[in-house]
Amino acid sequence: MAYSDKVIDHYNNPRNVGQLDKSSQEVGTGLVGAPECGDVMRLQIKVNPETQVIEEAKFKTFGCGSAIASSSLATEWVKGKTVDEALDIKNTDIVKELALPPVKIHCSVLAEDAIRAAIGDWKKKNGVAEGEAVAQPVAAH
Amino acid sequence: MPDQETESVAASCWSCGASLGTGSPICSSCGKVQATSADADYFAVFELSRKLNIDTKALERGFYKLSRKLHPDLYAQAPVQEQQWSLDQSSLLNDAYRALKDPVRRTEYLLTLEGMKLEPEKGDAGKAARAPADLLEEVFELNMQLEEMRMNRKMGEDDPQLRQDLVNAKDQFEGQLRDNDIQIQNLWAAWDTAVDAGDPSQQDQLKTQMVASLDRRRYIRNLVRDVNETLES
Repeated sequence: MAYSDKVIDHYNNPRNVGQLDKSSQEVGTGLVGAPECGDVMRLQIKVNPETQVIEEAKFKTFGCGSAIASSSLATEWVKGKTVDEALDIKNTDIVKELALPPVKIHCSVLAEDAIRAAIGDWKKKNGVAEGEAVAQPVAAH
Repeated sequence: MPDQETESVAASCWSCGASLGTGSPICSSCGKVQATSADADYFAVFELSRKLNIDTKALERGFYKLSRKLHPDLYAQAPVQEQQWSLDQSSLLNDAYRALKDPVRRTEYLLTLEGMKLEPEKGDAGKAARAPADLLEEVFELNMQLEEMRMNRKMGEDDPQLRQDLVNAKDQFEGQLRDNDIQIQNLWAAWDTAVDAGDPSQQDQLKTQMVASLDRRRYIRNLVRDVNETLES
């Protein structure tokens, strides 16, 4: 199957590959996997506690070119967004941007899941209930 | 004895008119080969109900017995229609035997027959199945080690510790595979009980559990295969 130029670009020059300190309070880690092809994807975000802006994003993905490109693109997109804005990223946006064929749509789903999982982890760490808007810094108990 | 259920669709022999169980390849009255029936599932071929604990020795005996009766060589002189039917029945019989003798394939077949989807459709975006969450950490770690191993190999290096780690990881996953197989067997027993009890809600629940168990099995098996390929390459 032919990959689109954008997939090939992300595959050859993946953005933001790497790792953030998992134990940091400001870091959220999402680890997701797709059983059908054995893909596994780790996406991490570092959130500014004052502004809720995602300042840093890293990923490491084992899988096909589309999975790597989807997660690479996801890290690019979340950077500079607030946590709530990042939750608006939909897998269909990734499909469109990378021109993924139908058989590779699950890769984009995985990337969206990874974003949500990373944000979910960050929220949990910082005592924000799932689904709750992050309007203000977390109140300490 | 065929179940009431499998017999519910009445059929009769084209030659002597005797009534037949659904999917019976041969008329028990006159011994004539029958056309394959659209609702003949693999269980019906062997006159079995849709249960999972199967006596494979008996299955094998049934297979040979039917094979001998249905073999196309026996129909070389028969009318063309019967020749064709013996061919159809023989190939159905072979498919049925192959699918039922292997426990995993039998389970997969039963679940498909019961309307379950085993492999998620690749394009089926929102519904893509999830990898077992409890395994992800280990799987990620394993992939890191595999990558390192391949890198080392490219550089012409060998790290005995890394190799040992991978072998250990593989053993661990193989252990999980065995645990998983035991779990599947327990589900079979529960399924058979639910079939006997005629408990559809219990059956539905078990179907879902079996699909999950098979997914997990496939996933772990692929991992073990990847490790083996890297270790042996």
